[in-house]
Amino acid sequence: MYRDRLRRVSLATRVMAFVAIAVGASFALCGWLVESSIERHFAEQDSDELRVMTKAVADVLHRGAEPPASLATALSHAVSGRHGVFYRVADATGQTLYQTPNIDLESAARTLLENDVSRVVHVGVWFAGERGFRGAKATTEVQGQRYSIVTAVDISFHERFLDRLRWTLWLIMGGSAAISLLAGWWGVHQGHIPLRQLGDRMRTVQTDHLDVRFDPDDVPIDLRRLVVAFNDMVEQLETSFARLSDFSADIAHELRTPLTNLITQTQVALSQSRTLPEYRELLYQNLEEQERLARMVSDMLWLAKSDHGLIKPVMVDLDIANEVRTLFEFFEAWADERRVALVLNGGSCTVGADRDLLRQVLSNLLANAIRHTPERCNVTVNIATEGQRAIISVCNPGEGIAAQHLGHIFERFYRADAFRTRHSAGAGLGLAITRSIVEVHGGGIEATSTGNETTFRFWLPVAASAQG
Amino acid sequence: MFLTARDTVGDRVRGLELGADDYLVKPFAFAEALARVRTLLRRRANPTAADRLQIADLTLDLRGRRAIRAGRRVPLSSKEFNLLELLVRHQGEVLTRSIIASQVWDMNFDSDTNVIDVAIRRLRAKIDDDFEPKLIHTVRGMGYKLDPE
Repeated sequence: MYRDRLRRVSLATRVMAFVAIAVGASFALCGWLVESSIERHFAEQDSDELRVMTKAVADVLHRGAEPPASLATALSHAVSGRHGVFYRVADATGQTLYQTPNIDLESAARTLLENDVSRVVHVGVWFAGERGFRGAKATTEVQGQRYSIVTAVDISFHERFLDRLRWTLWLIMGGSAAISLLAGWWGVHQGHIPLRQLGDRMRTVQTDHLDVRFDPDDVPIDLRRLVVAFNDMVEQLETSFARLSDFSADIAHELRTPLTNLITQTQVALSQSRTLPEYRELLYQNLEEQERLARMVSDMLWLAKSDHGLIKPVMVDLDIANEVRTLFEFFEAWADERRVALVLNGGSCTVGADRDLLRQVLSNLLANAIRHTPERCNVTVNIATEGQRAIISVCNPGEGIAAQHLGHIFERFYRADAFRTRHSAGAGLGLAITRSIVEVHGGGIEATSTGNETTFRFWLPVAASAQG
Repeated sequence: MFLTARDTVGDRVRGLELGADDYLVKPFAFAEALARVRTLLRRRANPTAADRLQIADLTLDLRGRRAIRAGRRVPLSSKEFNLLELLVRHQGEVLTRSIIASQVWDMNFDSDTNVIDVAIRRLRAKIDDDFEPKLIHTVRGMGYKLDPE
C-alpha cells in the first residue's frame, strides 16, 4: 500500500525532494562553516589579547614598582589604552594585589586552568549576567614570590555580532535555498514539456491512425528509447491490424463466392418444378460447394489455432527420405497419370517433427509441384544437411512464379494467378498452412523461381538425437 | 463411441481410456460416423481374422497378397491390394476419400488433389473393367463403396 503510493509520486516531486535535500544540506554546511570560522577567528583574537595582557602584567611584576608608586599603581597602568579588558593579580596566599574595578575575577579564577606566563594555552569562557568573558589564568615567580595573574576580555560585543551574523546568514541561506528550489521546480517542469507533448501526441494514435510515427531526433536523448519503442509497438500493431482486417475482408470475400453460388443454384432450381434426378443433381452440386466451404473454414480455424500457439506438434524422430518416399507412393498414380516422374536425391536425414504435419507440408508442396509440371518432366526432391539444419527442396520445371508474387505466396488467400489456382487448389490457404507448420517446427520456408523452374525450399532443425 | 468437439490428443486418449470403443471429432462426415458404427458392430460379430476374403467372384488371398477374379489372377501393386482389401473388408459401406487416404497411405489430412480418384480408377481398370458385375461403385458426394449388387 505504502509502496504503491510511493510509486505513484510524480517525477517532479521526486526530483524536487532530492534537490531540496541536497540544497538544504549544502547551505546548512556552508552556514555552519562561515559561522564557526568567524567564531574561531574571534576566539584566536581574544587569546592573543589575553597573552599580550598576561605578558604585560608579568613584566610589571618582574620590574617591580618604582617608589614612591606602589605595586598596585604600577599594575593598574600595566595595560593601558584598551577598552573592555580586565585583570587581577594575586599573591601566593590569594591576597589581591590589583584588580580592575567593577568585575569579579576571583570566582572565575577558581574555574580556570593554570598556564605558564610564557605559554598561555588554556582559555576559558564564562558569563556573568548579560556579559560574557573570555579569560586565562597564569602564574609566575618573581624573586621567590609566586603570583597568579587572571586576565579577561569582554566578549559580549563579539557575541552580539555573531548573533546578528547568524540570523542574517540563515536568512540569506534560507532565501537562496527557496530560490534554488523554485528554479529547480521550474526547470523540472520545463524539462517535462517534451514528455507531456509526447503524451498528447501519443493520445492521437487510434486504430484508424496507426500510421503515426515519431521522429526520435525530435525529442531529447533521454526520450529517444521510449520513442523508438513506441514506434516499434505501433508498427507491429499496424501490421497485425492490417493483416487482421485484410484477413477478415478475405474471409468475407472467400465465403461470399461459394455462398452466392449455392444461393443462385438453389434459386434457379426452385424457380420451376423439377424431376427427382434434377433435385438430386442440385443437392450434389450444393454438397460440393458446402464441402469446399467446410474445408476452407477448417483451414482457417487451423491457422487461427496456429496463430495462437495452440498447435502442439507431437515430435518424433523422422527420416525425411522415408517420408518423401511414402508421399511418392501416395502421389504415384496421380503423377503417373499426368506423366510426371518423381525423383528423390539425397540420403537419409533425421529430423524431429510431427509425422502428420510434416507429411502435410510435403504433400502440399508435392501436389503444387506436380500440378504445375508439364508432361514428361520430373519433380525433384533434394535433401541436404547444412550445419544443424535439414534442407528439403521441391523443384519443378514449368512456368515460373513472377517475382512480384514470390514474396506473397505464403500469405493467406494470396493467389499468384487467381484464375488458374481457383480451379485446381483450395482457398489459397495451402501455402499459408505449409509455412505455419514449418514455423511451428522452428524452421523456415522460401520460394525461388526462374522463368522455367520453381523451387520451394524449407528447412527444419536436425533431430537432437541425430546430432554429433 | 465419443462424438465430440474436444479434439486435442489428450482428450482423445482420455476418451478412449475411459472405455470408448471409438472417438470421432466434430465436425465429422455422417458417412464416416455410420462406417465407424458398422465397424464396431462387425468387430463384435466376427472377431477372428480370416486369411481369405471372398466377395462375388473376387477372392483375396491375404497371406499371399493375391487377388483372383473369376479364377484369373489380377496383378496388383502393394498399395492397390491394400486399397482393395479395405474396400472388401468394408463391403457395402461408403468409404470417404479421407478415410481411404488415412487407411491405405497413412495420410491423415485432407489433400486437395484427386489422388484417391486416380487410384480407384486404376484399381477399377484391373478389377472391374473386364468383368461383370462391377464391384466398385462411386457414391457421388461421399466416396466409394464395394458392393456385389
